[in-house]
Amino acid sequence: MFWKRAILHVDMDAFFVNIHLLDHPEDRGLPIAVGGNPNGRGVVASASYEARQFGVRSAMPSSQALRLCPTIKFVGHNWPRIGECSRQVMDLLAAYGPLEKMSVDEAYVDISEAADPEGVAFKIRAQIKRETGLPASVGLTPNKLVSKVASDFDKPEGCTIIRPGEERLFLAPLSVRAIHGIGPRTAEQLALLNIYKCGELADIDLSQLRLKFGKNAELLQERARGIDHRPVNDDPGQAKSISQEWTFNDDIEDENYLFDMMEKMAGQVSESLKKRNLVAHTVVVKYRWVDFSTFTRQRTVEVGIDSAAEILATAQAVFQANWNGEKLRLIGVGVSNLERPLGRQLTLFNS
Amino acid sequence: MKVTCLQENLAKGLSIVGRAVSPRSTLPVLANVLIATDNGRLKLSATNLEIVITCWLGAKVEEEGALTVPARTLTDLVNNLPPEQINLTLDQKSQTLHLDCMRTESNIKGIDADEFPLVPEPSQENRIKMSTPVLKEMINQVAFAAAADDTRPTLTGIKAYFEGDTVTMAATDGFRLSVRQSPLLGTMDNSLNVIIPARALNEVARVANDEMEFVYISMPEKRNQIVFDMESVVVITQLIDGNFPDYSAVLPKRHATRTVLNTSEFMKACKRADIFAREASHTARVRIEPGDEITPGFTTITANSVETGDNVAQLDANVIGDPVEIAFNVKYMIDVLNVINSPQVALETTTPMEPGVLKPVGAGEFTHVIMPMHFGR
Repeated sequence: MFWKRAILHVDMDAFFVNIHLLDHPEDRGLPIAVGGNPNGRGVVASASYEARQFGVRSAMPSSQALRLCPTIKFVGHNWPRIGECSRQVMDLLAAYGPLEKMSVDEAYVDISEAADPEGVAFKIRAQIKRETGLPASVGLTPNKLVSKVASDFDKPEGCTIIRPGEERLFLAPLSVRAIHGIGPRTAEQLALLNIYKCGELADIDLSQLRLKFGKNAELLQERARGIDHRPVNDDPGQAKSISQEWTFNDDIEDENYLFDMMEKMAGQVSESLKKRNLVAHTVVVKYRWVDFSTFTRQRTVEVGIDSAAEILATAQAVFQANWNGEKLRLIGVGVSNLERPLGRQLTLFNS
Repeated sequence: MKVTCLQENLAKGLSIVGRAVSPRSTLPVLANVLIATDNGRLKLSATNLEIVITCWLGAKVEEEGALTVPARTLTDLVNNLPPEQINLTLDQKSQTLHLDCMRTESNIKGIDADEFPLVPEPSQENRIKMSTPVLKEMINQVAFAAAADDTRPTLTGIKAYFEGDTVTMAATDGFRLSVRQSPLLGTMDNSLNVIIPARALNEVARVANDEMEFVYISMPEKRNQIVFDMESVVVITQLIDGNFPDYSAVLPKRHATRTVLNTSEFMKACKRADIFAREASHTARVRIEPGDEITPGFTTITANSVETGDNVAQLDANVIGDPVEIAFNVKYMIDVLNVINSPQVALETTTPMEPGVLKPVGAGEFTHVIMPMHFGR
């Protein structure tokens, strides 16, 4: 089989839960959820397969998970361990070709250069398990779009390979929602055209699709046909924005506490910027009020910044200009308008 | 109120006070301009609570009175009237201003003048006298270096220090610093040390014209304000509280290389460099090479952009000292070269990590400091 492009999507299975089980083997076989406290406002970040049988899903409010599965055991995130395992997996993957990290537990690897991509796919999955003890599912297809669907096709510990030319056939019986980028809103619009499956979307007359989706129609149909030319982007500097946010257990109106949180987030944002060798020209503050209304306010500075102190100072200035002392349930600090500076503007005063 | 004035005078007066109008304030009267008779002249005043601009124009006053009317409406109307006499009459009962010019009659609904914020009178005592053109030049040389965003509020101001018979003004945004010294006309008994919003000083420079020979500066007691009285125009602004950074500590005391360049050639080279540098954080490299007995010294300015391309310009220069290569934000260079009036400019440098200093050759009153760009982290 000749692979012109071979893109592997690696998706760790219940990553947070399995890391927990690695360190706490006594919890194996129990319904486990990693995430926030069910008495507060936490959400499930990851659920064990035992918990999933009760209908518990990630991103579900923890309180709801507890109702569905009263015996569920909640455990906290072990961020240092998560970071360590993630790095281990990513380092291992990077040896096989250009790597695009999508999150801590998900990445694309371009293995087009490999003589036998199919063999490499199996090898990588086994190597992850052997070296980290963690299960992963992989999808190997000629492009990112289909690989993402494929890795999810046979979880956990799946290895789904869709050979060149078979992409359209593979997607055809799947719901349109399987395609990354087709959300509930688009699915609703498609349903009006009686389109529910990728195959139906792939076959429909383009002119009919255009009536509803205009210039996006072509792209939409291409996706349903399993066509995707996006390269694996191994340059993390491409990020358009970096942000951190925090939902409080109790609504907060204490300015000092809010500033402490902002300081922490500014530090994290600064670290991500420095790691990517970027500076930001815009600082964004996100607010969510008690009634869930959410808005962002931003300020642009002329000289790009990356230090925690500068990000914090700007964020606090934005915050104070747009806060009337009302209680908040979420605060976020982020940066956008990013740039890779040629040189670094030195400052006159060290403060 | 019953007043007659010329359309061009009224239009000019409205354009002077117009910049202090705040159309989007929660206080409706701040979107208005105050029109009042005052000792046989017509007084116009506008404020956004940070700055007040008042101007007086010649008029024939038949009956005293005062009213505020929406600045936008009045300005647009007056700008579109023919250059003739305008009769202004106030109908006290309906708070309406009636304008009558040639065959055009208009009525503008206003707000009672009593609702307009009280404006302090310029003091005739304890005031500092300065040449208006000198103050204007000072502001132009200093204000652009102030910070544009108010993350650090004191840096949006200009530090002004009046002592004896001189005034020193300084502004910095943390990356560059402008300092200018000028003589006062007269000697002060007490020194005065304030931070004035750069925005307000820019307004002073804007309204100052050649007819205004002198400006009188005073501080009304306990109001945290400063007054610039140019007789026919008065600008009053709030001062900024806070500590201005100690800039004297960062003024370089020595240099390793002094490079004298033709100001306008240097400026043109910087502008060409910025065509390419603007996509690369405005970074341009300045390489300075001293000459010898046969070859004169020179300076090259290099800019490149991954997307656009690159540009190199070589300029003759009188270089005393060591060769050096230093990178600057070329926009900062253009900003300062714009306000240097001497035909030659001196660039003093030490190392690529230390500030560069620009001074007009032959005039010792102005110093501008720019921090370089540093390559590699």
